Amino acid sequence: MDDEKIIVCRCEDITLKEIRDLIKEGFTTVEEIKRVSRAGMGPCQGKTCGPIIAREISRITGKPIEEVYKPHNRPPFGGIFFKEIVGETDEK
Amino acid sequence: MNVAIFEEKEFLGGQLIKQTHKFFGSKDESAGIRGIYIAKNLINEIEKTENIDLYLNSMVMGYYEDGVITALVNNKMEKFIPKKVIIATGAFEKSIPFENDDLPGVFGAGAVQTLMNVYGILPGKDVLMIGSGNIGLIVSYQLAQARANVKGIVEISDHIGGYLVHASKVRRLGIPIYTQHTIVKALGKNKVEGAIIENIQTHEKKEISCDVICLATGLMPLSDILNQINCEMKYIPELGGFVPIRDENLKTTVENVFVAGDVAGIEEATAAMLEGELTGLYAAYEITGKFDKRINTIKERLKDLRKTSSKVVNGLKKLNLYEDFIVEPHESLGDLHKTGIPEEEKIENLLSSKKERFAILECFQKIPCNPCVSSCPTNAIKMDGLNEIPKLDYDKCIGCGNCVAVCPGLAIFVIDKKKESVILPYEFYPLPEKGEFVEILDREGNLLERNQVLSIRKMKDKTNLIEVKVSKENLKHSRHIRVVR
Repeated sequence: MDDEKIIVCRCEDITLKEIRDLIKEGFTTVEEIKRVSRAGMGPCQGKTCGPIIAREISRITGKPIEEVYKPHNRPPFGGIFFKEIVGETDEK
Repeated sequence: MNVAIFEEKEFLGGQLIKQTHKFFGSKDESAGIRGIYIAKNLINEIEKTENIDLYLNSMVMGYYEDGVITALVNNKMEKFIPKKVIIATGAFEKSIPFENDDLPGVFGAGAVQTLMNVYGILPGKDVLMIGSGNIGLIVSYQLAQARANVKGIVEISDHIGGYLVHASKVRRLGIPIYTQHTIVKALGKNKVEGAIIENIQTHEKKEISCDVICLATGLMPLSDILNQINCEMKYIPELGGFVPIRDENLKTTVENVFVAGDVAGIEEATAAMLEGELTGLYAAYEITGKFDKRINTIKERLKDLRKTSSKVVNGLKKLNLYEDFIVEPHESLGDLHKTGIPEEEKIENLLSSKKERFAILECFQKIPCNPCVSSCPTNAIKMDGLNEIPKLDYDKCIGCGNCVAVCPGLAIFVIDKKKESVILPYEFYPLPEKGEFVEILDREGNLLERNQVLSIRKMKDKTNLIEVKVSKENLKHSRHIRVVR
C-alpha cells in the first residue's frame, strides 16, 4: 500500500507516511505525535486517528497500546461561542 | 427524585432509532421487537414521566471538580449540580487505513444507517461492506431491503464476526462474504468507483466495482467525559478499547459517577439496556436505600444474557468482574462460521421427521434468544435455557408457521412434503401476489426454480410469511424468494 495516499487524520489531512516518519524520528506516543503534527487536534479530537496512530506506534516499537496512548480530554467537548464562556449565566 | 437527560441531538433514542431489525435476547426483555419500536416505547415512557427534564440539542461541555456540569442548552451555557451522574455516551466507530480512504463514498456504517433509516436517503447503488460483525451484517441486509446492491462483505478474520443467523440472512440474498480479506485501496478520482480487496494469506487481489465503501470495523467507547474527570481507565481490546474501571453496579472510580452501555464496553444493545436499568436503580439506591431487590434481579438477567459471550466476559474478567463466571466453549460449527451456510449434515438432521408438514429450525449457534418457544401454540419448541439451541418435538408440531414469523434471526422455515411447499419469512417489498410466479432461491441466493406463491400472511411487525410451491428436490434448499416483474 502506498502510505502517502492513506489519510490517517481526516480532520488535519495527515497521511500514514507522515505518521511513520515521525515514529522513526523518535516520537513514540500519540500525545507527542499530536503536538508535532496536529494529528488529533481537529473537530473529532483524535477519535478516528488516535487508535490508528497508537496501533502503528505499537507495531513499530513493540510497546503495548496502553503505554503509547492515554486519551485525555479537556472541556469544552464541542464548539462554543466565546461570549458563552465569558458572559455570566444563572446557576441552577 | 428528579432526573435530567442531556442529549446532543434533537431527538432521543441513540442508535436504537436506526435498528430496523428484530432484537435477540429474552422474551422478558425486548426480544423479537424491532429496535425502532423499542426506542419508541422507551421515549414514550420518558415523555410521560413528569420528573424527567429533557434537554435536547444540549451538549454537555464539561464536568468540574466542584460538581458542576456545564451544558450548551439552546446555545446558552448552563450549569447543573447533580447528586449522581450517569454517563451513557455510547460509542464511536473505528476506522481502518487504506489507500484513498478520504474519497467521497467512504462511509462509516453508522452514517449509512442514519442516512438510510433516519432520513430515508440511500447513500449509493453498489456497496462494499467492510467487516462482518453484527453491524456489517445487519446494515448489509438493510441496504438490500432498500434495494442497494451489496457487492460483498469483507472480513479480515477467518470466520464471520456476527451472529451466524444474520450471516445466513445476507447469504440467501446472494451476498458473498470474503473471509481472510481486507480492503487495500479505494478506486476512483473524485469519488469512489471501486475497491481492491486482498486475500491476507495468498495476497491475491480482487477488484470490486462500487460507489460506496461502508466501514463496519468495530466500535470504541466514547469516553471524553470520563477522560476529562480522570476516571481510571483500562485498555481492554475485548471491550473495544479504553473502558472505565468500575464495580458490578457500574460505579466508576470517581465519586458519584456511573456508566452504562457501550461507553462501559462494546456489547449488544440488550445488555446496554439492562445496564442502563441497573445503573439508574443503583444511583437511586445510593440516595434512597431502595430498589436493592430489583437491582439483583437485573444483575442475574445480565449474567444470563452474557452466558455465551466469551469475548465480553473475558473483557469483564480483566476488570475483576465476573471472576467465577464460566463461559462454555463454543461448539465448532464447521464451515458455517466461514460461509454463513449450515453444513449439509446439520440440515439433514432437521429433516429426518416422517411427518408431512413441520418446522425446520436452522438455529445452530448458541445465542441468547427465545421468542420461538412462546410463539408455539402446541408447545412443540423446548429450550433448556436462554442460550440453548431450541429443540422441536416433531410429533407436536403442526407446521403453523408462527415461529417462522417471530424468529428474530429469520432462521425458521416450514416444509410440507405432501403439498410440496415451503413457508419462508419475507421482509422485502414488493410483496408477491397470491398465484404469482416468483424466483425461488437457495441459501446462497442461487436460482433453483420459478414457482407459484400459494399464500401470503401479512404480519403486523412486517415479517411476512410466504408459502411457495416448490418441487420435491428443492424443498430442503428453498430459503428465499425474489419477486420479478
